[in-house]
Amino acid sequence: MSFLRINNIGKTFLGERKEEVIALSDLSFDCQDGEFLCIVGPTGCGKTTLLRLIAGLEQPSEGDIILADTVIQGLNREATLVFQQYSLFPWCNVIDNVCFSLEMKKIPKKTRYLEARKFINLVGLTGFEKALPYELSGGMQQRVAIARALAHNPKLLLLDEPFGALDERTRHRLQAKLLAVWQKERKTVVFVTHNIDEAIFLASRILIMRDRPGCINDEIKVDLARPRDRRSQGFLKLHIKIREVLEKILITNTNNQRGAL
Amino acid sequence: MIPIIIIAVWEFFAIQANNPALLPRVGDVISRLVHPFTDLLNTGSFVRHIIVSASRVVLGFILAAVIGIPLGLLVGRYLLFHRLFSPIIELLRPLCPIAWIPFAMAIFKTYTIADMFGAHYTTSIFGQIQLGMLYVIFYGGFFPIFLNTVHGVKSVKHLYIESALLLGADQKKLFKKVIFPSSLPSILTGLRVGLGISWMVIIAAEMLPGSDAGIGYLIIFSYELAEMDILIASMILIGAVGALLSYGVKVLADRTSIWQAKER
Repeated sequence: MSFLRINNIGKTFLGERKEEVIALSDLSFDCQDGEFLCIVGPTGCGKTTLLRLIAGLEQPSEGDIILADTVIQGLNREATLVFQQYSLFPWCNVIDNVCFSLEMKKIPKKTRYLEARKFINLVGLTGFEKALPYELSGGMQQRVAIARALAHNPKLLLLDEPFGALDERTRHRLQAKLLAVWQKERKTVVFVTHNIDEAIFLASRILIMRDRPGCINDEIKVDLARPRDRRSQGFLKLHIKIREVLEKILITNTNNQRGAL
Repeated sequence: MIPIIIIAVWEFFAIQANNPALLPRVGDVISRLVHPFTDLLNTGSFVRHIIVSASRVVLGFILAAVIGIPLGLLVGRYLLFHRLFSPIIELLRPLCPIAWIPFAMAIFKTYTIADMFGAHYTTSIFGQIQLGMLYVIFYGGFFPIFLNTVHGVKSVKHLYIESALLLGADQKKLFKKVIFPSSLPSILTGLRVGLGISWMVIIAAEMLPGSDAGIGYLIIFSYELAEMDILIASMILIGAVGALLSYGVKVLADRTSIWQAKER
């Protein structure tokens, strides 16, 4: 039995005119313990919805999600989601943000500050403990958000395009940082992105989603040795391969639309 | 610049009118203001009247905050409370607090807090705090506080609530650690507006019969005796104290919610 199992899930929303919108349909995959899984796909294919379902923020219309042999019902207490938007509590400074989950567990202030400093150090933000979120750059805020998620010590770390709003240099730096953290903490990570390069750099395995309705189209194992060189033959080959799959999805969609018209 | 023009125009017309019972000279009003402890018309000094008015306002205002904030938090968060309280609140809201004054006077008469505790002949400040006045101040302060609190709770970003829940918060902690701090700037705005309205309402309430102290009473009494210098000095004091109260809440607000103005 795998660590995380997504079993034929479907998700249907009610649209504005009460019509049914199928976001996800018959979607299944497995994820091993300690795996770094990346999900790529065209915008609007339901990647974020999928993560929200795994986090238990929404419930699937069909199928079920099994984490460590338990079917998820309601909020998934074993998972933490790092949102695409900046989600730090603006009224708390960095250390209190990172501490939040420890405070919920009623850990005394001294112990939790000690613990939080470890994670702040891990994401390279020592010295910024007392800063308020608005004083930090976007990249720093996302690093704090990752530290906050790690401090919660979840079995499963879900990341929804956390570096989406950042420039390429910062993005690359944070990717390397995240990998280092993952190698050290050995968490299971599900990382959603629409950036192919990011997926190949990070993942042990990449799932490619298609849209209308959202489901898994392809699966690609990434066997390149870490740290991965973005200019290596293997990296570029994979890049082209994934690009081709995504383009094919796009073309089928356009054809389907023509057919519908 | 503008205050100087106003004072110049005032002084010009005062000299033209040459009638202190109509428009006193600037100097007369200032000479009243620089002696705040002098007894006026056998009713007590400016300081005494302001203390009486301010204690009424502060007490009524605290009452409004103590009831308005928790109720606002509940109504903003829970549909049940929303359904329970919204209709009555929407009905009462357009009813201006000043319209309540005669009613409150009729119901509470001149009953004071001191009377409530059986002390009928007292010189303490509580002998000056009439229940009817407390009621109208409470009414005036309640709505801005309550409505801003509701607004604050309703505009807490869903993202923060979901983050907190995923990080292990239960409903109680969610309230204390996310919903309350997130609504705090809005609550403080409500307090500031509420305090301003309370201060306006008390002046009106004190002008009605049944009061023998307070800055509003002093205004109406000096009007009856055509002591225009006292009347204008009182008006200036009302403005000054109101601005001071508002400033006090603003300082508090700025200190507790620096993050709000800077949030991107």
